[in-house]
Amino acid sequence: MGALLRIAAKDLAVLVRDKAAVLVMLAMPLGLVFILGSALGPSAGAGFDAKVAIVDLDSGPAGTRFVEGILAAEGLDEVFDIEVRSDVGEVRRDVSRGDLQAALVIPDGVSEAVAVGAPAVLEVLQDPGSQIAAGMWAGVARATASAASAEIVARRVVAQQALSRGTTPPVDLAPIVVSIEDTEVDTASRISAVGYYTAGMTGMFLLFGAMFGAFAFVRERREQTFMRMIAAPVPAWAIVGGKATGVLLATVGQFVVLLAGTSALFGVRWGAHPAAAVAVGVAESACAAGLAMVLAGIGTSERSIGAIAPAVIMLFAATGGAMLPVEALPAALRPLQVVSPVYWAVQGFLDVMRGASWAEVSTNVATLSGMAVVFLTFGIWRVSRR
Amino acid sequence: MTAARPIVEARGLWKRYGDVAAVDGIDFSVGEGELFGLLGPNGAGKTTTISMLACLIAPTSGTIVVDGHDCLTEPMAVKRTLGIVPQEVALYPTLSAAQNLAFWGRMYGLRGASLRSAVDEALELVGLAERAHERIERYSGGMKRRVNIAAGILHRPRVLLMDEPTVGIDPQSRNHILETVRRLNDDGVTVVYTSHYMEEVEALCDRVAIMDHGKIIASGTVRELSDLVGGLDVITVVADGASEADAAALKGCEGIAEADVSDDGLRLLAPRGGSALASVVRMLEGRGVRIRSLTVTEPDLESVFLHLTGKTLRD
Ligand SMILES: Nc1ncnc2c1ncn2[C@@H]1O[C@H](COP(=O)(O)OP(=O)(O)OP(=O)(O)O)[C@@H](O)[C@H]1O
Ligand SMILES: [Mg+2]
Repeated sequence: MGALLRIAAKDLAVLVRDKAAVLVMLAMPLGLVFILGSALGPSAGAGFDAKVAIVDLDSGPAGTRFVEGILAAEGLDEVFDIEVRSDVGEVRRDVSRGDLQAALVIPDGVSEAVAVGAPAVLEVLQDPGSQIAAGMWAGVARATASAASAEIVARRVVAQQALSRGTTPPVDLAPIVVSIEDTEVDTASRISAVGYYTAGMTGMFLLFGAMFGAFAFVRERREQTFMRMIAAPVPAWAIVGGKATGVLLATVGQFVVLLAGTSALFGVRWGAHPAAAVAVGVAESACAAGLAMVLAGIGTSERSIGAIAPAVIMLFAATGGAMLPVEALPAALRPLQVVSPVYWAVQGFLDVMRGASWAEVSTNVATLSGMAVVFLTFGIWRVSRR
Repeated sequence: MTAARPIVEARGLWKRYGDVAAVDGIDFSVGEGELFGLLGPNGAGKTTTISMLACLIAPTSGTIVVDGHDCLTEPMAVKRTLGIVPQEVALYPTLSAAQNLAFWGRMYGLRGASLRSAVDEALELVGLAERAHERIERYSGGMKRRVNIAAGILHRPRVLLMDEPTVGIDPQSRNHILETVRRLNDDGVTVVYTSHYMEEVEALCDRVAIMDHGKIIASGTVRELSDLVGGLDVITVVADGASEADAAALKGCEGIAEADVSDDGLRLLAPRGGSALASVVRMLEGRGVRIRSLTVTEPDLESVFLHLTGKTLRD
C-alpha cells in the first residue's frame, strides 16, 4: 500500500510540472466556461439576470392586467431584469443588438379581441444568441397568457350561467390574478449560462486527466522507468494501482480547483450541498482513472493515445450535454447518453447546482462508480497483458 | 577465481523471441564480491541476460539463483538483493536528481532519515551533490548516466547489475563511472558489468564472459582468455579506406591467422607479428590502402574475440 501511494504521489509530482497538462486540465475549462458563459449569458455573475422588456401597445384593460400580472409574479425579478417600455421600434433594435435578450409585445387590440372572444396573439422578440434567456421569457409569456385565458374562460362561463338563469351578470368580477406559480418555466434553465457551462466543461475536462494518465504510462514504458519499478521489490498490483490512483488524485485535485475557481472567478453557485458535488466529482475522477488504464492498455504511444483520447472524450461530452443541453441532441443520439460518463456527471452537477443533496444525485454517483469499475477492470486487464 | 561463494548462478539459460534465440543456453556463476564482465557486440544478448537476472523477463528455460533465492519462485527476495542500472537512462526528466533518487529509494523501502542520507551519499558517490536539485532534463548525457547509476546503488544492493553504463558518453564521465564501479566493488558489492568496450572490461573485471549470438563463447580471467589466443600477436593497422575485401585478402596471406575491419582500420592476428608486417604492408599498398600506423602488441580481449569469431568488436 505504501508503494502504491508513493507511485501515485510521484505521478502527481510529474503531472503538475507538465505545462500542457495544467493548461488542458485547468486553464482550458476555466477559459471555455468564461467564453461560452459570457457569449450565451448576459453577465458572468451569479444567477441569471437576463434583461427583458414588456411593451404594452394595447389601450384596454387586458394588456394592463397582463403587465401587472408579470411584474407582480414572485421570483421572476430574481431571474429577469424586466423593463416596461413603450417604443416597440427601439425595443426591437435593442434586442437585435443583444442589449435585451427578449421582449414581450402586447399588440393593440388585445382587449377588444378578448372582449368578443376572438384569439389574441402576443409576440415575443428574441435574440437568437440568447436562446436560453429568450426561451425562458417566452415561457413566462406563454404561462401568463394561458393563466389569463383560463381566467377569461372562467369569467365567460360565469357570465353565461348568469344569463341562462336570467340574472344580470355581476359587473365587477373578481380581478384577474395572473400567476406563474404552476407555469412551465423549466427550472433547469434557472441555472445561468456560466453555471451550465461550468457543469459541462467540468464534466468534460475531468476526463482529460485520463489522457495524461495514459501518457504517463506509455512514457514510463518507453523511458524504462517502468522496468526499473518492476525491478524493485514492489508487487505489480501496487505499480498499476499506483498509476491509477495517481490519475484519481490528479483529477480530484483538478475538480477542487475548478469548483473553487468557477465560484471565485465567475460566482457560480454550486448549490447548498457541496458534498454532493464532491461525490459526483470524485466518482467521475474514478472514471477518469479507469479510462486512463483503458487508454494505456490499448494505445502504444503518446501519439496514438493523443488521437484516441480527445475523440472519445468529445463524443462522451457531445452526447452527455457538456456542450449543448441534452434536449438539443437529435433523438437518435439520446440513447447514447446513458453510456457517457460525461452525461451522468453533467446532470449530477446541474442537479447539485439546483440544490440537490447527496441522496438526490446518488444514481449519478452510483452509475459513474459502476462505469469506473468497468473501465478499471478492463484497463488493468489490458495493461497487465503487456 | 571461483573460490568465492557463488552469489549469482545461471544454469541452462535460454530465451527465445519467435525464431530468435536472444540467449541461447548459457551457464555462468558469479562469486560474491566479484566484478564480473559480460562482453559482447550489439545484439549478443547482454541486455536479455541482465533482464532475466533481474526477474524482469522470464527465461524460456533454465534457472537463476541469486543469493540462494530462485528468480521464478522468490522474485521479491531476488529483487531486494539486486540493484540495477539499465542500459537506457530510466529517470523522470522533469523531477530533480534528488526527487528521482528519493522515489527510487522509497521503492526499495527506504524512509525518513535513512532515505535522506542514502540519497546524499549516492549523489556524493557519483559526484553530483551540488546539482542535486536541478531537473534531470537539464543534465548532460554523462551526468544523467551518473544519476542513473546512483538510482541503482542507493539502497546498497549486494549485487549490482550494470548494463552498458558508459555507452555514448564523454571520457571524463566515463572515467568517473569506472572509478565509481571500482569503489563499489572495493566496498564488497558484487557487480555484473556488461559492455561492448573491451578495454573497459579488461581494465575493470576480475572475470569475463564473452558473448556472441546468445552464447558464451569463452569465459575466464583476462589472463586466461588472452592465453586462448596462444602465441598469436595482434597487428593493429590504422589506415584510411580499409574495407571488408582488404580484410578477406589479408586472411588469405601466409602468416596471417585472422583479419577484420575495425573502427579505424584493420586488426589482424598473426603467429609471428613482426615478420608478417612486411607482407601486410605490401598487400595493403597494392590494394591502394593508405596506412598511417602499424603496431604489434600482445593479445587482448579484442583479439580473443577476433580469434574466436573472426570479427572485431565494433560499435
Ligand atoms: N523483446 C524482444 N523481442 C524480440 N527480439 C528481441 C527482444 N529483445 C531482444 N531481442 C533480440 O534479442 C537479441 C539480443 O538482444 P539484446 O538486447 O539482449 O542484445 P545486447 O547484447 O544487449 O545488445 P546491445 O549491445 O545492442 O544492447 C537481438 O537480436 C534482439 O533483436
Ligand atoms: Mg543491450
